[in-house]
Amino acid sequence: MICQASSSTFVKKELLKKAKKQYIIAPILTVFFQLDRSMKTAQEVRAGQVVMINGSPWVVQKSEFSRSGRNAAVVKMKMKNLLNGVQTESAFKAEDKMEDIVLDQKEVTYSYQADPMYVFMDSDYEQYELEKDDLGDLMMYIEDGMADVCNAVFYNGKVISITPPNSIEREIAYTEPAVRGDTSGKVMKVGRLPNGTEIQIPAFVEIGDKIVIDTRTHEYKSRAK
Amino acid sequence: MNKAHWDIFCQVIDNYGDIGVCWRLARQLAAEYPVKVRLWVDELAALKQIWPETQLQSQQYLEQVEVCVWSENFPAEVKPADVVIEAFACELPTTYLAAMQVKAQPSVWLNLEYLSAEDWVEGCHKMLSMHPSTGMNKTFFFPGFTEKTGGILREKTLLEHRAAFQGDYSKQDAFFSQLGLDQVNQRTKETLLVSLFAYENTAVASLIHTWQQSKTPVMCLVPFGKILTSLNPLLNKPLEVGQAQQIGALTLIAIPFVSQQEYDHLLWACDLNFIRGEDSFVRAQWAAKPMVWHIYPQDEDYHMVKLNAFLAHYLAKTEPMLQSALSNLWQVWNQGGDVSEHWQTCLKLWPQWQRQSQSWCKQLSQQNDLSSQLFDFCQKRATEKG
Repeated sequence: MICQASSSTFVKKELLKKAKKQYIIAPILTVFFQLDRSMKTAQEVRAGQVVMINGSPWVVQKSEFSRSGRNAAVVKMKMKNLLNGVQTESAFKAEDKMEDIVLDQKEVTYSYQADPMYVFMDSDYEQYELEKDDLGDLMMYIEDGMADVCNAVFYNGKVISITPPNSIEREIAYTEPAVRGDTSGKVMKVGRLPNGTEIQIPAFVEIGDKIVIDTRTHEYKSRAK
Repeated sequence: MNKAHWDIFCQVIDNYGDIGVCWRLARQLAAEYPVKVRLWVDELAALKQIWPETQLQSQQYLEQVEVCVWSENFPAEVKPADVVIEAFACELPTTYLAAMQVKAQPSVWLNLEYLSAEDWVEGCHKMLSMHPSTGMNKTFFFPGFTEKTGGILREKTLLEHRAAFQGDYSKQDAFFSQLGLDQVNQRTKETLLVSLFAYENTAVASLIHTWQQSKTPVMCLVPFGKILTSLNPLLNKPLEVGQAQQIGALTLIAIPFVSQQEYDHLLWACDLNFIRGEDSFVRAQWAAKPMVWHIYPQDEDYHMVKLNAFLAHYLAKTEPMLQSALSNLWQVWNQGGDVSEHWQTCLKLWPQWQRQSQSWCKQLSQQNDLSSQLFDFCQKRATEKG
């Protein structure tokens, strides 16, 4: 008689139990960071968020999602250790569970660039400086005079990342002319934003049109109203 | 010299791809490299299907591989191996993971991923992964079709054996006789011999219809599997294993699900192979015969992205007419559409298609195979740690 594992459920349950235990035996860390914790899967973690890995807080600077076989996926992250500043790239299974840490946050807007720093300001005119690497996906949308309200995340009183709002409005600076007659929105082409970022846009969008972009997926959402 | 111990963990999700790849890898490593291989598999019945010598018992030795059942109550006393491979992103047993954490000499831990021809694979191959709860390092290892990936499985003598088999008709006849398929040996010279292995696929209706009316006789061998579910409703009488049906120019023969070794021979002997998923897909490429791939379907039709990524490599050096003909046939086959027209176009380009299959196989054989790359990688890691 042989005993067969029915599925990975058993293993996953065990991992979850273990993760919960770690949460309970780490009250000191919890108090130290004065933060909320929750478990997220790797695919749910966005650039700018902070996750705890083996007792160290890591800020995710960039996150790339790729579909693997069946319906699995791989997430490649560029991360920075908030305790020692070490930067690394790491791959994760999309379903890997991570402890998500919610740190203090503030709304800020972009002011100017003082190379190599990017300067942001809050409503109290307090300025915050960050390097390109710490801006993650926001770099794709940075442009002079942008008024988008972004989200700054703080650790030990210092800003560690700034993320864009989920939707952002931008003008198309350049794109090839559309093929006549196609207004379905299914045929896509490359559109360039004023800062040089290229995204896929429907064929009917023209130079000068304003569009709404989903900054989580970097995909075209709609025409701006 | 002490042999390094390798553990391969395989969770059978569905079909035979998971176990097919893991079992081939385990066999090859044990046969060709100085390593002791233990394969943990949660569904022995799947292994038995592709390797009939398998006994339904918790532990056994097959082809120099220790095969163990991966049960829910994973034995706590199992010591982690020097190299640990979790195949296709399966989760290791918690007790095993805990033992890895306290191991004096850390194991080389690998996640052997799915095969894909997409560009992003090169950027993730050999990438380190920090295990979120333990902080242990794992490496993502991606099979693939380019130098910057882990390659695909290919035993050292595979191409030699294939050439010997394909060059000797008596071996091919003996193979079909052994399967009880003497009828195959009696086919006319001009008959196109096809193996048809696929998932359920509505496109099979147009294919069968076209073959029925074909000027060239077609003999189609259908290994027992999912495609019969799509095929049988099209026939007056369901085709059962061991039975043959003649419909116009088409002879359909349902054959049993064959072992891995027999399947290689089948691919080598047929003129054209329809294959599916990952394992048979790889083996068909080594057969150097024309093939049509039915890729594993994914949500939101994402498999079409993967299909096209492979076609871009596969057809890169092919003349434009064949490129477009094959691309159309493969895409429509995977979309369940009407393949009649595309089949006819491909058939007109048959000699070019044959040459393309051979040159692709030759091109692939220049690349280091998956097992050797895994072995070299782990040796290097062990040296660094030592």
